[in-house]
Amino acid sequence: MRSSPRSALPARGLRAMVVLALAAGLATTAHSTPAHAADTPTAPAARHTASAPALAAKPYMGWSSWSMQSSKYPGLNPDGDYSYLTEANVLEQADALAAKLKKYGYEYVNIDAGWWRDNTWTPEFDTYARQKPDPVRFPHGMKAVADHIHAKGLKAGIYLPVGLEKEAYHDGTSPIWNAPGCTTADIVYSDLRTTNGWDSAYKLDFSRPCTQKYIDSQAQLLADWGYDFLKLDGVGPGSFKSGDNYDNVPDVAAWHQAIAATGRPIHLELSWSLDIQHAADWKKYSNGWRVDTDVECYCNTLVSWENSVDDRFADAPAWTRHAGPGGWNDLDSLDVGNGTMDGLTKAERQSYATLWAIAKSPLYTGDDLTRLDSYGVSLLTNREVIAVDQGDGPPAQPVTASDPQQVWAAKNPDGSYTVALFNLADAPAAVTADWSALGFTGQAAVRDLWNHENLGDHRNRITEALPAHGSRLFTVTPRRSSHTVHYTGYEAEAPANTLSGNASVADCAACSGGKKAGNLYLGGKLTITNVVVDKPGTYQVKVTYVSGDARSALISANGGGAVRHTFASTGDWGTTGTVSVPVTLKAGSNTLTIDSGSDYAPDIDRIDVPQSS
Amino acid sequence: MTSRTPEPSRRTLLSLAASTSLAGALGTLPAFAASAAPLRPPAESEAPADDRHVLWWRAPADEHSMIEQGLPVGNGRLGALASNDPGRELLLVTDATMWTGGLNDTLDADGQFPYGRDDFGSFTLLARLTVDLPGHDLSAVHDYRRTLDLARGLVTTSYVRSGVTYRREIFASRPDDVIVVHFTASGGGRYTGSLTLDGTHGETPTSTSFGASFPNGLRYGAAVTASTSGPGRVTVRGARIDFSGCADLTVVVSGGTDYAPDASAGYRDPSLDPEDLARTKVRAAATHPVGTLRSTHIADHRALYGRLGLDLGTSTARQRALDTWERIQERHASGEPDPELEAAYLQFGRYLMISGSRGSLPMGLQGLWLDGNDPDWMGDYHTDINIQMNYWMADRTALPSCFDALADYCLAQLPSWTELTGRLFQDPRNRFRNSSGVIAGWTVAFSTDPHGGLGWWWHPAGNAWLCNTLYEHYEYTLSRAYLEKIHPLLKGACAFWEARLLPVSLPGSGEEVLIADAGWSPEHGPQDGKGNTYDQELVWALFGNYHAACTRLGKDTAHAQRIAALREKLYLPRVSPTTGWLEEWMSPDNLGETTHRHLSPLVGLFPGDRIRPDGSTPQEIVDGATALLTARGMDSYGWANAWRALCWARLKNAGTAYQLVVNNLRPSTGGSNGTAFNLFDIYQTEPGRGIFQIDANFGTPAAMIEMLLYARPGHIELLPALPDAWAASGALTGAAVRGGFTVDLHWRDGRPSLVRLHSTGGRTTTVTYGGLSRKVVLEPGASVTLKGFTG
Repeated sequence: MRSSPRSALPARGLRAMVVLALAAGLATTAHSTPAHAADTPTAPAARHTASAPALAAKPYMGWSSWSMQSSKYPGLNPDGDYSYLTEANVLEQADALAAKLKKYGYEYVNIDAGWWRDNTWTPEFDTYARQKPDPVRFPHGMKAVADHIHAKGLKAGIYLPVGLEKEAYHDGTSPIWNAPGCTTADIVYSDLRTTNGWDSAYKLDFSRPCTQKYIDSQAQLLADWGYDFLKLDGVGPGSFKSGDNYDNVPDVAAWHQAIAATGRPIHLELSWSLDIQHAADWKKYSNGWRVDTDVECYCNTLVSWENSVDDRFADAPAWTRHAGPGGWNDLDSLDVGNGTMDGLTKAERQSYATLWAIAKSPLYTGDDLTRLDSYGVSLLTNREVIAVDQGDGPPAQPVTASDPQQVWAAKNPDGSYTVALFNLADAPAAVTADWSALGFTGQAAVRDLWNHENLGDHRNRITEALPAHGSRLFTVTPRRSSHTVHYTGYEAEAPANTLSGNASVADCAACSGGKKAGNLYLGGKLTITNVVVDKPGTYQVKVTYVSGDARSALISANGGGAVRHTFASTGDWGTTGTVSVPVTLKAGSNTLTIDSGSDYAPDIDRIDVPQSS
Repeated sequence: MTSRTPEPSRRTLLSLAASTSLAGALGTLPAFAASAAPLRPPAESEAPADDRHVLWWRAPADEHSMIEQGLPVGNGRLGALASNDPGRELLLVTDATMWTGGLNDTLDADGQFPYGRDDFGSFTLLARLTVDLPGHDLSAVHDYRRTLDLARGLVTTSYVRSGVTYRREIFASRPDDVIVVHFTASGGGRYTGSLTLDGTHGETPTSTSFGASFPNGLRYGAAVTASTSGPGRVTVRGARIDFSGCADLTVVVSGGTDYAPDASAGYRDPSLDPEDLARTKVRAAATHPVGTLRSTHIADHRALYGRLGLDLGTSTARQRALDTWERIQERHASGEPDPELEAAYLQFGRYLMISGSRGSLPMGLQGLWLDGNDPDWMGDYHTDINIQMNYWMADRTALPSCFDALADYCLAQLPSWTELTGRLFQDPRNRFRNSSGVIAGWTVAFSTDPHGGLGWWWHPAGNAWLCNTLYEHYEYTLSRAYLEKIHPLLKGACAFWEARLLPVSLPGSGEEVLIADAGWSPEHGPQDGKGNTYDQELVWALFGNYHAACTRLGKDTAHAQRIAALREKLYLPRVSPTTGWLEEWMSPDNLGETTHRHLSPLVGLFPGDRIRPDGSTPQEIVDGATALLTARGMDSYGWANAWRALCWARLKNAGTAYQLVVNNLRPSTGGSNGTAFNLFDIYQTEPGRGIFQIDANFGTPAAMIEMLLYARPGHIELLPALPDAWAASGALTGAAVRGGFTVDLHWRDGRPSLVRLHSTGGRTTTVTYGGLSRKVVLEPGASVTLKGFTG
């Protein structure tokens, strides 16, 4: 039974209506003229208009089943791996979500992989090669689950892998629903090339007219069941795959089109480790993309710090500029609700939640919501922190080097800053946020969001003690008496500088002056001469660099002891990033050296030295 | 005790009395013993904190970072590393005598000693005290700060939680023989939580104390009390103590073992029940207000700490504004000297010495401080540099009484070392045995334990190096009683070498010389080298010291003459025509690693002073030693840098000596070589893994003193290697020198500005600076201010 698209739609303003209208139009034409179905609808262009998008206007919030499915925590999966996923369990979690977290904004209940697979992980398909719910896991079918979730005032999410699952091929004989004459043989390549992160599916050939019809048929099924969210998994380039066979951009485009054609607004989330080179595609066709591998550890707990919560601190920065209304950088499940099950210390749980919030990642927990501990509840329901994630400020990014002690910040529309301090080291450490790394000096009021505490005015910086893997989250509001930092810039390619080893000047379209100093590897070294300051002191020197991967460099002044700093990836070799590093300068002229040492350093565009420390 | 020379200094008299009673009581006095009633100072006598002597930090340690971030306290015997974590104070408690092994007298198949934690043994933890304060998580507090007040011997912590300032203070009192943790709060703060005192070796937990024993029979125990003076409740609940609503909380811990420094009693005092004694001690301490315990401790600590004055110059306001860890990092990154930090680093070494070496066993590789039960190399006594380096600074920095632990230890081990040497050294499997077939006296292995046991390989010249170290202490103090005490050690070491030296005639000249039998130059090259420079130099010094000792004591005169005659025939190293280096082996070739960490062939330069760059040593020898030292390089770590710095100071190369000091001040991150957050010296054994070795914390201060002041009996040289970084102005006061004097030395613009000598027993010496020289004659106890260097 097809539900009315209109009745399922929340009214979210003009943009929503535009999408609806377009989708409705496409749905009618698609039936009669399948050959045109691949035409790109104009809806995505609307994302770039000033009005809010219908979907993912803010990072979504909710719960996902995968963390508990994937865990070996005692008792979670009594009938074999991934057997946690059942109707009873999903509904129990939906009820708990509604009771405990809904009022804080959590609304999606997302069923992850396996709903069409039995407990031996054998998949089941309907006569049209579409995934069919396993009757043991979901005895009442998927629509009943969605209906229950909707009845709680929540939204329902579901999951599919990208491509035609091998078991669905059925010797090419399965007909495609609502596509007379089309069978599974008509939607794949004749050589049955495989695709997705597991090579578990045949790659769909979208040059063939039947193929979009297959996606349409899947989308219609999900829409008919009443789902509001689809996680499309194993998508490449990404999911640890690259190359033509794993280019699933056409699949994602087809899903985008098919969803629109259903008339039901279904949030489309892509997984996993999506290739940042295709960020424009993901933004065009989806509402969110997993930037990294699974956060789950597939171990006796849900996650662990080292595998792979801590990876996000290195991997998220390059993605920051791609996040915004309509599509967000998805850091994966936020499993901070129960320390024992999560496998994390309290400090780690707070840091985990801090990063997710400031990066404006979707906030969906994978915890057992019936067993949240009090600290977990305090983390998941801190309204000040949720507001950082859901508010209108941009996502934060590192303003310091990506060293064990690092500071992230974002400037909010009201002139305040969201500032997070992290200590990723395995031992406690003091971490300092220098206002000059934010671009101002003087007094600022500091609000501690986790502790709900005003810390008063702090001049020029704040230093706090952080436990191992710990964090702080502040709102920093400069006082009117504060001053903007003025900088003196020094181009890396300036002729007065010294390049040694392999280092050389290269063209760089994104760089100031159109050039950078590159080839800083294995002893390659850049020395910037005549860096002049009036007073001795430690300066937060801004380094603008280009680096397709995370790299480190030894930075020193005037031949003093060098300190190794790590620079997060900027995503590619054509994009710059800027962070501040502390450098102690003397009054007058200094040299500042960026040395690759025995390693590979980023290319350097320029440095900017504050005119006062 | 009849001393013909009056001993007029009150301090000397006191130490003499202590030495006499110790010597008389040896073998019966355990380390953990009933304390005499503490001398309580007048309440108003306490001086306030002095910033130059206060280290501070803005982060605590946690359970996993104790060795690099825990702050050490100790009363000379009983010690702890403290985490100062607001939500969980953790003290890892040690007693100097907690040792798992024993005599270890069954040789391995190669004739050497086993080196395991069960047979040889290991230094190990006594207890762990945890104080849990729910809600005081580090992530929930602000303005966290902790300090180590070196002058007063206090560790403090403060932080703000919900507007309330909480403070805690930790100290280890020698007079009361307890560790005290005192919690207070302002603004109506209250403490609610629980504490436990646990063993770390699987002991059955009991409420407020525990006791157990090791397979080696060593009994040990510890006890705790907790109390509040204000509102609130403290309740013993099973194996823990709960407290709630307490405005303040005082926790007192003590513990120890039944170890006794007596070989004939098997190093045990069977009458001692450590758990019972610990309970008695904490109960006794808890009867006093915490302020009384505190002021008693401060007075006791300051009495030692205050004896040395050190000023290396003035740091900038910017440097002073940084916390200690930031200063260490800034010192490295900027390359700018931080004279007050550098002086504080030296004073930190003195703090460790006062905290770690009084009234019990001496300090091994990690001193009194551990972060687990199984320290690297057992936390033992290494006799081929490490234990000697630990004590080079004791006299130099006006802590002579801290040296006693080393002398008392050696003396208590002597019967066992003699017995093991006589019984096992000539084992036919021992490649180092005497080819003469004769054995006498005693020696040691590279490792020694407190139970008379030896570990790893035999170390024939270890006896000489220990004796020379002990004899140097005599040269500082000129205490006849002390010399009497160590005389048997010197005598037995000389007897050993009488039996071991081989006569050979040198090729070419045919000169008849004596050389050491087959040995190893620690710790590289061939293991069958005869006449190794290391052995020759150490035995040469030993024989000289023995002769001098017997002369002073008027005993064993004939034996001393025989030894002196042997000394005349000892072969001494030459300069290799091939390398230009002082030869390490009787070979012109380099048979080892050029940049090896050890400076074994340079023991004649430092700590010995046979090789002197003052014209009294052939220039060729000085040049050969300099060339060898240069070849060893600058890129080492901890104690190896400290030893190099000492050698360069002896060669009056201020810049190089200072650079090596600075190298040790490099911040250690991720286990790299250098100075950790808590100023412990870290040695990187492999990338990412650093271990604490305390020797550099003592050796580096010794080098800093040696740069300011060189002395041997009868000769004092001012500012021999003063680096530019400290040259502007500074002062060193109360520093002891060999020959029985203390020196007050001020300088300005690189030149002495005030020089004062005080005799602690010495009568004549010569003071030199920059080619000027003055002979000084002083009555013991008298002082003189010298003019003429300050032009």
